[in-house]
Amino acid sequence: MSTLNLLVAVCIAYVLFLFFVAFAADRLALQGKKAWLRSPLIYTLSLSIYCTAWTFYGAVGSAARNGFEYLTIYLGPTLVMISWWWLLRKLIRIGRTQKITSIADLISSRYGKSSLLAAGVTILAVIGTTPYIALQLQSVTLSFSVFAAQSDGLAAQDQAQLAFWLSMGLALFTVLFGTRNLDAKERHDGVVMAIAVEAVVKLIALLSVGIFVVWGVSGGLSEALNRIDASEFGEWHTDRSRWAGLIFLSAAAFLCLPRTFQVLVVENDDESHLRTASWAFPLYLCLISLFVVPIAVVGLDIMPDGSNPDLFVLTVPLALGENGLAMLSFLGGFSSATSMVIVAAIALSTMVSNHIVMPIWLQLRPRGASVSGDVRAAVLLARRLSIVGVVMLGYLYFRLSSGGEALASIGLVAFCGLAQVLPAMLGGMFWRGATRMGAFAGLTAGFAIWLYTLYLPSFGVGTILPMAIIDNGLFGLEWLKPNALFGIAGLDQLMHALLWSMLFNVMAFAWVSLITFPSPLERLQAAQFVNIFERSANARSWSGGTAQAEELMVMAQRILGAGEAQALFQRHARRQGTRGDLPAPTPDFLEALERELGSSVGAATAHAMVGQITGGMAISVEDLMAVADETAQMLEYSARLKEQSEELSRTALELRNANQKLTRLSIQKDAFLSQISHELRTPMTSIRAFSEILRDTDQMNPEDQSRYASIIHDEAQRLTRLLDDLLDLSVVENGQVNLNLREGTLRDALDRAVSSAAIGEDGVQLKIERDAAKEEILLHTDLDRLSQVFINLIANARKYCDAKAPKLVIRVMQDADRVVIDFQDNGSGIAPDAVDMIFEKFARVSDQKAGGAGLGLAICRQVMTRLGGSVDYVPASRGANFRVVLPYRTALAAQ
Amino acid sequence: MTRATDRPGLPTVFHERRTYRKRRVMDAARVTPVLALILWIIPMIWPQEGDGSVSSATALIYIFFVWAGIILLTWGLSRLLADVPDESSDSET
Repeated sequence: MSTLNLLVAVCIAYVLFLFFVAFAADRLALQGKKAWLRSPLIYTLSLSIYCTAWTFYGAVGSAARNGFEYLTIYLGPTLVMISWWWLLRKLIRIGRTQKITSIADLISSRYGKSSLLAAGVTILAVIGTTPYIALQLQSVTLSFSVFAAQSDGLAAQDQAQLAFWLSMGLALFTVLFGTRNLDAKERHDGVVMAIAVEAVVKLIALLSVGIFVVWGVSGGLSEALNRIDASEFGEWHTDRSRWAGLIFLSAAAFLCLPRTFQVLVVENDDESHLRTASWAFPLYLCLISLFVVPIAVVGLDIMPDGSNPDLFVLTVPLALGENGLAMLSFLGGFSSATSMVIVAAIALSTMVSNHIVMPIWLQLRPRGASVSGDVRAAVLLARRLSIVGVVMLGYLYFRLSSGGEALASIGLVAFCGLAQVLPAMLGGMFWRGATRMGAFAGLTAGFAIWLYTLYLPSFGVGTILPMAIIDNGLFGLEWLKPNALFGIAGLDQLMHALLWSMLFNVMAFAWVSLITFPSPLERLQAAQFVNIFERSANARSWSGGTAQAEELMVMAQRILGAGEAQALFQRHARRQGTRGDLPAPTPDFLEALERELGSSVGAATAHAMVGQITGGMAISVEDLMAVADETAQMLEYSARLKEQSEELSRTALELRNANQKLTRLSIQKDAFLSQISHELRTPMTSIRAFSEILRDTDQMNPEDQSRYASIIHDEAQRLTRLLDDLLDLSVVENGQVNLNLREGTLRDALDRAVSSAAIGEDGVQLKIERDAAKEEILLHTDLDRLSQVFINLIANARKYCDAKAPKLVIRVMQDADRVVIDFQDNGSGIAPDAVDMIFEKFARVSDQKAGGAGLGLAICRQVMTRLGGSVDYVPASRGANFRVVLPYRTALAAQ
Repeated sequence: MTRATDRPGLPTVFHERRTYRKRRVMDAARVTPVLALILWIIPMIWPQEGDGSVSSATALIYIFFVWAGIILLTWGLSRLLADVPDESSDSET
């Protein structure tokens, strides 16, 4: 029991040491001392998560049973690592730019953020990883029982308890260090550091045992080689199909296993680390597998028949009395098991919580409780519960399968299941035509075949799949036998499953991708994934930050203006304590810059622009839509502004015209006032003068008396006429006039007007042309008023026509609803700038010929409006042309 | 900003000697996995019975020598590719 106690003590001490390492690493990371934590060496060592207890113990077991086949498990990942330049570099760049958190996230993100695909891959990963976790628990309990066997053995009950406490401890460790912070990038410094330490322990343990076996037991390298040749290994024997198939399978698994994806892509801190890992990790794998065959050969030699070759790494040193070495070897196996469980739990819990628990939670959650902290707490809780759930699932599987042969072979079965993700993953990275439906079809086909031909039979014949199906095929169809699909029997079961599942997977993936059409989001993501190096060409992650700062400066100047941009940059440079004007593009600065730009171009646009330059993030469709939205808003706003300014300028123009008109009117009015006062004073003066003569002259002959009196009378009449006109206008204007409606012909009205107006007081005869026949139109209107209008127009023509032989043409036209009478003279017409003034009160075209008070046309217009018609000046080819329009109603009513 | 490849816009058709060398190094990095795969597939054609069959020790030495060679080659290439600017690796010139 003492050995066992010692073992437990060493285990606990080792675990405490790991806790301390993880804790210290997290602390250092918080203090910003990441350089050492995140070195290429640590990255390389963390990749060794691929080598689990299954490879630590199982490789020797596999070598003892199947010869060199174990090498394939290491050759595949080596091939992947040396393909870093065209494969892993791209994968990691995609992971960094797209902020990929797991393999399910990668597939989902590539195929249009499909949550269905993500959930599918997650389920596949859980199914494939659970037995693997069980395998780790088994290996630890087995190794414990080896030591226990030296004293008094380990009861099955104790084994179960041991596995339980081990899984609890691992879950605790993972919860503590795996969900400390909810980083968008999902990096776990403490965990990675602990795993790197465990990787070193693994390697040292296996190398120590190997060196001991080769130099301590066999007595040197050449002796060891001779011993190999002399052993059962003898000559080169491998199943050829398994050799090729397993190389492919392990390569695929290295890319697709959730835990390797986690450390390879998600935990990657710097792309340049990959350059070191490209050769250093193959070296690690080479060293790990170097002494496997010698250990197996010595184990087969010295251990009794029937002993478990899986435990040779432990039992050989124990059998030779090297307890310390055995202890180291035990720690190596323990390290392999624990690190695998921890990282697998982190990776799986991320997938489960992000793609299964959170979507369901968000669906079920009552609306309105959407505080950001709320979700964060929920995510953390989901993550922690998922970790415990995943580890417990592994424990349950371990208990139910109760160890045994079935579990030992589960490693490759799990590899084969997870390899189903490979076509969708590589297709997504290198083929833009790959669609969501294609990926879904491929995964489903591959998964179904794997389940039927490998996973379910792996539980043992008759446990889940009934004997009848295995013997006779599904539904009794011979060609559907799970170990001989399509009647092709004789293949190794694993190779058979791998061949058919991958074949159907790839075919379904390619065929469905070819016939379906991707959504816009899918196409965008496809372009971003496949052309990742073109898209992120600005992301100079390998070079310094000054280039970025310069580009940011150029952009900021373009948007903010040179002065403001320089001031902003200088301010931040001073705050950062940088020499020079360019601050380092720290998150703080970028945020401030984004805010500043956002006030000019909109938040989404600013985010996209800064993102483009710093390359920190890809632009999502949501970003683009937000940008478009902002642009549309701005366009609309500027369109509204333009409209308003046009309206303003229109109004201004109208106001200017009105003002001009008012000014002219004012001038006219002043002229009129002086005119009217003159007009009034002239007769007044003569009336006063003659009336004074009549009053003051005593002897006056009756002849003179009568003459003076008639002058006074004439002048008084002139005054009366003037005042009549003014009164007339104001009456008509105010609508107080009473119309004297009666019937008569247009001809009568014109006759009256011509006879009274054609000959002036000065005797000038105006020649008038008329067409009497057309004038025979019956009217029902105020004929006196109408004649007044005609008289005015004719008198105007007589007074203002400047032709040598003045002539007026009166034309009458008649159409459906109106009668039009044109008065056109042969003079020079009215100047264009005076046209809009002539109908105004007090307006006169010229001062010198002014006979009237300038009220005639104003009265005419008012009268015609009262009669329901109009009078307008119509521009004509020559002379002035006035048009009187009478509504036909007036005419018809007379008929 | 003196080399043609540093400038944005259309990639140039010909590169100066150093750039040309870099591109060939990239090509080498791309074909290394193929070389490794071929070398490790060779054991599949070894005779497994009778005369000329390969002894286990020889097989072990062969595989590990290839392994070491590939590691060295990758190491060398990764050194040469260390200062390659981060540009599109897909252009064909």
